[in-house]
Amino acid sequence: MPRKAKTTIVALSTPPGFGAISIIRLSGQKSLEIAGKLTRPPTPPTPNVVQFARIWKEERFIDEIMLTYFKSPRSYTGEDMIEFSCHGSPYVIESIIDLCLQCGAVMAKPGEFTRRAFFNGKIDLLRAESVADLIYSNTQSAHRESSRQLLGEGGAYFRHLKQRIIQIISMLELELDFSDQDISFMSHGQVEHEIRSIQQDIRILMKTFSYGKMVRAGLYVPIVGPPNSGKSSLFNALLQEERVIVSPIPGTTRDTIEESIQKDGYQFRLVDTAGLRDTNEILESAGISRSRKTIQLADLLLFVVDARSHLADFYDILPTKTDEVIIVINKSDIADYKTTLNLQNELSEYKTIVVSAKKRIGIHELSTIMVNYVKGKQPSEEYFVLTQKRHFLELKKMSGFLKHAESSLKHLTTAEMIVIDLRLALSCLDEILGKTVNDDILNNIFNKFCIGK
Amino acid sequence: MKRTDFDIIVIGGGHAGIEASLASARLGIKTLLITLSIDSIGRMSCNPAIGGLAKGHLVTEIDSLGGEMAKATDATGIQFKMLNMSKGRSVWSPRAQADKIKYSLYMQGVLQSQDNLSILEDCATGILVDNNTLIGVLSESHGEISCKKAILTCGTFLNGLIHIGLDHFPGGRIGERPASGLTESLVRAGIISGRLKTGTTPRIRKDSIDFSKTIVQYGDEKPFPFSFLTENFSPPNIPCYITNTNPHTHEILRGGLDRSPLYAGIIKSIGPRYCPSIEDKIVRFHERASHQIFLEPEWTNADEYYVNGFATSLPIDIQLKSLHTIPGLENAVIVRPGYAIEYDFFPSYQLNSCLETKKISGLYLSGQINGTSGYEEAAALGLVAGINAALSLKKESPLVLGRDESYIGVLVDDLITKSPEEPYRMFTSSAEHRLLLRFDNSDIRLAEKGYKTGLTPPTIYKNATEKNRILTESLRYLKTHSLSLDHTNQILSRIQRAPASGSFTLFKLLCRPEIHYQHIEPYLPQDISSAIRSFRDLGDQIEVESKYEGYIKRNRILVDSFKSHEGIRIPLDFNYRNISSLTIEAREKLTKFRPETLGQASRIPGVSPSDVTSLLILLRK
Repeated sequence: MPRKAKTTIVALSTPPGFGAISIIRLSGQKSLEIAGKLTRPPTPPTPNVVQFARIWKEERFIDEIMLTYFKSPRSYTGEDMIEFSCHGSPYVIESIIDLCLQCGAVMAKPGEFTRRAFFNGKIDLLRAESVADLIYSNTQSAHRESSRQLLGEGGAYFRHLKQRIIQIISMLELELDFSDQDISFMSHGQVEHEIRSIQQDIRILMKTFSYGKMVRAGLYVPIVGPPNSGKSSLFNALLQEERVIVSPIPGTTRDTIEESIQKDGYQFRLVDTAGLRDTNEILESAGISRSRKTIQLADLLLFVVDARSHLADFYDILPTKTDEVIIVINKSDIADYKTTLNLQNELSEYKTIVVSAKKRIGIHELSTIMVNYVKGKQPSEEYFVLTQKRHFLELKKMSGFLKHAESSLKHLTTAEMIVIDLRLALSCLDEILGKTVNDDILNNIFNKFCIGK
Repeated sequence: MKRTDFDIIVIGGGHAGIEASLASARLGIKTLLITLSIDSIGRMSCNPAIGGLAKGHLVTEIDSLGGEMAKATDATGIQFKMLNMSKGRSVWSPRAQADKIKYSLYMQGVLQSQDNLSILEDCATGILVDNNTLIGVLSESHGEISCKKAILTCGTFLNGLIHIGLDHFPGGRIGERPASGLTESLVRAGIISGRLKTGTTPRIRKDSIDFSKTIVQYGDEKPFPFSFLTENFSPPNIPCYITNTNPHTHEILRGGLDRSPLYAGIIKSIGPRYCPSIEDKIVRFHERASHQIFLEPEWTNADEYYVNGFATSLPIDIQLKSLHTIPGLENAVIVRPGYAIEYDFFPSYQLNSCLETKKISGLYLSGQINGTSGYEEAAALGLVAGINAALSLKKESPLVLGRDESYIGVLVDDLITKSPEEPYRMFTSSAEHRLLLRFDNSDIRLAEKGYKTGLTPPTIYKNATEKNRILTESLRYLKTHSLSLDHTNQILSRIQRAPASGSFTLFKLLCRPEIHYQHIEPYLPQDISSAIRSFRDLGDQIEVESKYEGYIKRNRILVDSFKSHEGIRIPLDFNYRNISSLTIEAREKLTKFRPETLGQASRIPGVSPSDVTSLLILLRK
């Protein structure tokens, strides 16, 4: 961090590995100088023009590249920036970065480009967060929500909320500081009304978080059920039916058998718990096991049962929350029709579907039910969707302060005390917008990025 | 008069100059006060009143630091009223109507009998500077007078220009000459100046008022004095009278706007937003059918009344015609017309927290020339400058007041970090620590600091210490002792509340909105309750501190995060221009304001939190 204003950073900005093109970015005062040293003959770059250049390392030719120069302050970070578009060979990439380091650049830390953009006032904190999200968005829905935030919609929404609270505070302050003049003030009844209205809006916004969370990270869908019901077969069937995607979100624990599929713009992270070593723990009612935790964290549960079984066979492990479960009655190909129907009737409280994982029957219909489940949670278009846990928690805090203000109003506490709770509520919004800077928060946000962003 | 050496010269005998020269002289410094007219010392240009919302707080703080305004007001006020009594105690503000003549004479008396203080009737026309250090003052009739420090407290006199209608003529106050030369001298030395305007109301003859058409308003029966030294306080209670303008009044005023100096574009300087002239009011609040008018006597048995709420610079014929439409004033005779005045001021970003200019060492600017409005603000600033100039000469550490300990602290800090371009006045909402700053605890907050400087009288300091001790110990007692269930229910039934099921500490009981100190007093041990009784209203203050405690804690969450930044000093020659992590606006503002601490930097408009973080990191290195 102390290096900020002085150093020139360099990093690979495209994913590592072989590829046709890779982009290496430089940002900082020395960018132009370094670019000049690397290219031979030295090509003085014109801002915002893609130019052809050749890079040499001493007597060895490295690559033919396209070079773009962004002149401060009109660049992503606000500093002088150079982008080398080179051929995607790991050797080429390493050589170019090495040359930059030799010329005085330093390796960028994760998220450092975006951090500099924030500190140079190029983007606000919400936008910075949404850049990370946009990069990781791998479905249309995630992309939609993160782009709304990137486009500043989130910021606008929170700023509007902020204005409403500032209005109330101003009215109360007016009452305190101008009581000796004949000006009409907002009555406490009106203040109460407005606070309650803001509370309602916050509540609606907080409700969108469950959807937003699912959209951003994908729904977490463990496949559970009694042994031998065909969980793994179902897992594979779904993977075959729908498009598998690789989720690059860093830090996802990979000690489960997890694969993500995409359907209709939504991501579902399927977990094959049959692949867990402690499968039998699912059947135990006591003890904290990894699978239990898995079930707790589930956004949607697929509970798979054998079509030939009866309710009594798995009654004790049946999840109680009916709306977050889809019971998949598997092995329809070998089960008796009547028994299957019976079972389905016994489970009438739940959403059920009859499939045959082996024969790929009903799989498409199952994934449709899953999509409808998410769609059912989607708030109407006009509402901004909360996707960040950080925002959710701040709003929760804010709601608490507003509640305290409401009760103070009821007890006829005088304005100067009510104002404090309102100001605390305001500070929550400032936290979300990044107006109050807390080192920890910043570190949290920027560390989510990987190097080169 | 022989050219003698003086240590400190104070230029201007208004409210700021009085406090500055008294503070300096009382701290043992050889002081000279130069004034255009000794008779005009302590004169109130506008409202014959001291105190009011937030301003009353300033006056009690001035008293705790050893200033004079509070004592003068107690001695000469003709009506006393506590404002905001329907609200929380932290916003209670004392206000007094003054006898202008007595007030002025009182101050003249105090100055003339003060050791170490000489008064010279003359016009200061310039400052003498050598190598950015102040070395003397130039006066009209007495030439060069050398000094170590100079405090300018010129009020509205620097190149003062009075406007009535389309006429204008030089004047520092009506009937008094302006001062010229000083501004130009400061500008030559590198100080930036600006121009502001303010205005005042017409004065009318008492016998031309028909009081039967007005509503009478008296002050409080058992008023609070301003000064902590005042005992046996039973001042006069002379009423003021309330009436209203009406649409007919407004019509006439509107008709005269083309001859108003502001609306005709002759005055371009900015006036106080919160003290609008009547023409401002009818333009800005055009939906209102009437505005309140207070008729206040200017002194005891005065034959002149001040028309509060009717500040104006419209032509005299319009003033008269419009007044005649107001109930009670149908036959009003104007003794002195309302007028607007333009004057020079010096934007306060040029000052440090001692009110010394950063450019010229030894030059202090305080009072209305800082861009404030109000006698109380001026007096507070004069006191700060006077004390600090004196302490500096004595090579002692300066008196710097925090925002969490006084309104004076808020005032000074706001001036040097926000440098207002329009007249600034004190509001309770400017103080983020408002709950801590009550009028009744100024002594607890400030007496110790004031005593250490040598200015606060020992009595105030002793009483403050004792009061604080009783307060702290009482609160501790309340928090550690519970009332029996029987006694608790006794109290609850007395106020018609449902009985309790468990017992509470006395503190918890007192926190409830419906329970007051007098309810729990009978249950306190004799020694505690009698100690509390030895100070007026101390029981109520204890109650307020109890009820506020939760809120004060919450307030601290809000402000503490930046508290640490106050202690981080920024070198005066810090180069902001090369720091690319700061926005361009921040770089400009920081270079212009040159804040002394990171905390100050964070309060400058245009400096964002991310800029503060950048600075923090750079300063830590």
